[in-house]
Amino acid sequence: MSRSFGTVRAVDDVSLEIQDGEFFTLLGPSGCGKTTLLRTIAGFADLSAGQIRFGQKRIDTLPPHRRNTGMVFQNYAIFPNLTVGGNVAYGLKARSVPEVQIKERVARVLRLVHLDTYGDRWPHQLSGGQLQRVAIARCLVIEPEVLLLDEPLSNLDAKLRVEMRAEIRELQQQLKITAIYVTHDQEEALAMSDRIAVMRAGKLEQVARPQDIYRAPATPFVAEFMGTTNLLRGTVAGRAGEALRIRVGQQEFCAAGKAGEGESVSFSLRPETIRLLGPGETPPTGWGAFEARLGSVEFLGAITRIELQIGNDTMLRVASLDVLPDELKARGRIAAAYDPRRITVFRG
Amino acid sequence: MIAISRRDTFPLAIAILAFAFLGLFLLYPLLNVFGASFLDRTGTHFTLANYARMLSSSFYLGSLSNSLILGALSTLLTIVLGVPLAFCLARLPIPGKSLLLALASLPLVLPSFVAAYALVLLLGRAGVITRFLRDSGIPFTSIYGMTGMTIVFTMTLFPFVVFPALAAFKAIDVSVEEAGQNLGSSRWRTFWTVTLPVVMPAVLAGGLLVFIDVIESFGVPFVLAEDKPILAVEAYKLFVGETGGNPASAGVLGVLLIVCTAIALLIQRYYLGRRRFSTAARRAPPELVVKPWLRRLASVYSWGVVLIALVPFFAIIVISFMEFRGPVMHPNLSLDNFRDLLNQSWRPLINTLTLSTAAAIMAAAIGVPIGFAITRFRSRISDLLDVIAMTPFAVAGTVLAIGLIISFNSGWLVLTGGWLILVIAWVVRKIPFNVRASAAILHQIDPSLEEASINLGVSPLMTFARLTVPLMMGGIIGGMVLTWVTVASELSSTVVLYSGPWATMTVVMFQALESTGAGVASAAATVLIVFTVLPVALIYRLLRRHELGMM
Repeated sequence: MSRSFGTVRAVDDVSLEIQDGEFFTLLGPSGCGKTTLLRTIAGFADLSAGQIRFGQKRIDTLPPHRRNTGMVFQNYAIFPNLTVGGNVAYGLKARSVPEVQIKERVARVLRLVHLDTYGDRWPHQLSGGQLQRVAIARCLVIEPEVLLLDEPLSNLDAKLRVEMRAEIRELQQQLKITAIYVTHDQEEALAMSDRIAVMRAGKLEQVARPQDIYRAPATPFVAEFMGTTNLLRGTVAGRAGEALRIRVGQQEFCAAGKAGEGESVSFSLRPETIRLLGPGETPPTGWGAFEARLGSVEFLGAITRIELQIGNDTMLRVASLDVLPDELKARGRIAAAYDPRRITVFRG
Repeated sequence: MIAISRRDTFPLAIAILAFAFLGLFLLYPLLNVFGASFLDRTGTHFTLANYARMLSSSFYLGSLSNSLILGALSTLLTIVLGVPLAFCLARLPIPGKSLLLALASLPLVLPSFVAAYALVLLLGRAGVITRFLRDSGIPFTSIYGMTGMTIVFTMTLFPFVVFPALAAFKAIDVSVEEAGQNLGSSRWRTFWTVTLPVVMPAVLAGGLLVFIDVIESFGVPFVLAEDKPILAVEAYKLFVGETGGNPASAGVLGVLLIVCTAIALLIQRYYLGRRRFSTAARRAPPELVVKPWLRRLASVYSWGVVLIALVPFFAIIVISFMEFRGPVMHPNLSLDNFRDLLNQSWRPLINTLTLSTAAAIMAAAIGVPIGFAITRFRSRISDLLDVIAMTPFAVAGTVLAIGLIISFNSGWLVLTGGWLILVIAWVVRKIPFNVRASAAILHQIDPSLEEASINLGVSPLMTFARLTVPLMMGGIIGGMVLTWVTVASELSSTVVLYSGPWATMTVVMFQALESTGAGVASAAATVLIVFTVLPVALIYRLLRRHELGMM
């Protein structure tokens, strides 16, 4: 599937298959084409080549109002001239559902989103979180083929966002509905999804389960976009058994991976996988170790962010639990260890 | 092959209907005006003789230069008067500001030829004040000619400058001014070097509206020009002249009129379009703290300008309740003028009420969908639609009416002699306002609401009818009322197009002006004022003032 947006291709040869009942997330920085892709599925953006199917049924030839998708908009798009009940009943009326059934189904879905008593309220009387629930109820009630969510939590405050994301996920699992979720927040994506597609400049970088995306990023872009990481560049100096020996400046790192000797590679090493060693402590078997000078220290309460300087030009970020800056500063030189299996190597 | 996606069928349908209507009742008549001016007597051969003849006549060349001078003079004066007023209203504590703003917008909807006529009754040859001055031995002749016209235009059109300038003064990020002062510039110098340049594009845009309105005006010069030739009036006289109409010569003047307004509009589109300074004010700048004497001066000035602009309208209401014997007014209260007005016939009053209503409904029915298509669907077709829908703005009512008569006097579609041609002319003239107004409302409505409705299974057409239109309703009604009050007192195309039983209130007043029925004319003027002020006052809260500015 591809979509032309003027001369710049916004979504380029994206081919995706989403399973029934799956919570699928499109993740990427702003302007990467994830919202365009979602709007293409809903029919609000044109498809210049390719197809969209729901099961056997081809839907990209249908006008938007015949596609039976339920879209939750970033700003909720609650009709201000209708009550909560009127908003929820809107899609049922369009489908000419009998009045008695409409009442029943509206009541049922409002109960589902914990707004049982809000049917007669007006949108301007509701809070952001409640509006969000109305938007979701309005889509669920029409029993759509797929629920499309376009950054639905971005207008909520941080605490509510965490609550709502659990609620949305729970609702989706309970109803076993297929959902496509667009966000630029990687934490949200990791917490909610069955699978994540990371997008960049209209192309798919990687499609995988959250833990695989984080632990085994397919490209340096994915590694850096998902959380923070140390992305280092070096040359393969040789092999040590199964592992590669990669030289970065004066330091050598061991890493699981495949590459020829003399090849220039980059690799990702997550800050939280690096363990600081106490004085005299030895690294676990199979781990690599190095010594470094202490750079800046940032105390964040539960974790402490540390910068370690190896040699003259290599800086490594480390995140440690339950460490106090003063203890570190007293030590001078710091010893640290890492697990070579937690290093992801990118060729080229 | 041009692929037309399904999403575009609805706006495309609107565009086709709009093109059909505007093509038939705007472009085709205009083409005929052009045609008349470029064809010889037999109507078959192209010729420039009409232009040569008209432009070699010092009389008609004078009408061109008079119109331009009048336009320039009025524009300059409205700016000189309007910018300080806008500044006072935006930045100084003026008592009764909201009432003042409401009153300041009135001259835009009140018929300007009524103000002109009031001036004649007060300061004309037999005017109340003229006679008083003469009796007191003060030499005063009269205010006919350029002076009178400029005064009337300045008094009635200054809000065109005030409201955009006011909005611009309020949109200024006050930190820009603070930065100026922080860098060592005095408050006065900052005003001239920072504040004024930033609002200038808005001021000039308003000034151009004034210029166009002056050039197109028929009523004011008809009442006040006396022997000064003015384009719009001479075109009318040539077309309906007693010696038999002369469409070729009228056509030449009509084309000259369109050229003048079109140039002014093009200047606005291409010069001002690029000079809009974006100001990112998060809040309106606070009122300035000034010395008491300055505050008092500003209050007196603001209230003074606005109230003086309304004096002619008050005056004519008072005069309409005076006793007239022939053209001479006597200081006794009387309802005779109204009795005379309605004794002639109730028809004009009924015509005004019904035809204006029909025009208001039709203008909304055509203007709102065009506004929707232009705002929601950006394409080359909607850009073209935008340009065509704005064209009536550049066409004087007189010229449009002449074109309509040439086009629909005979042939497959005859409209002359009926009421429909009046309504069509009014609708065409008000389409730019209706389109702009509905586009302005639509900008306030998030497009995702419509997408949500479509997503939930309602077709685009039904979404427009059931969701968008109800959401726009307040604005649509406001726009309809403004259309109603302005067409009820429309003069320039009405006097060309009306026939026998379809005379309106403005026609009655116009005829009374031509004869000596000052009493009846002032009574008709009072009726028009009431029909304007009452509906506007009733729905004032629904209207946003910038909509008035778009009239």
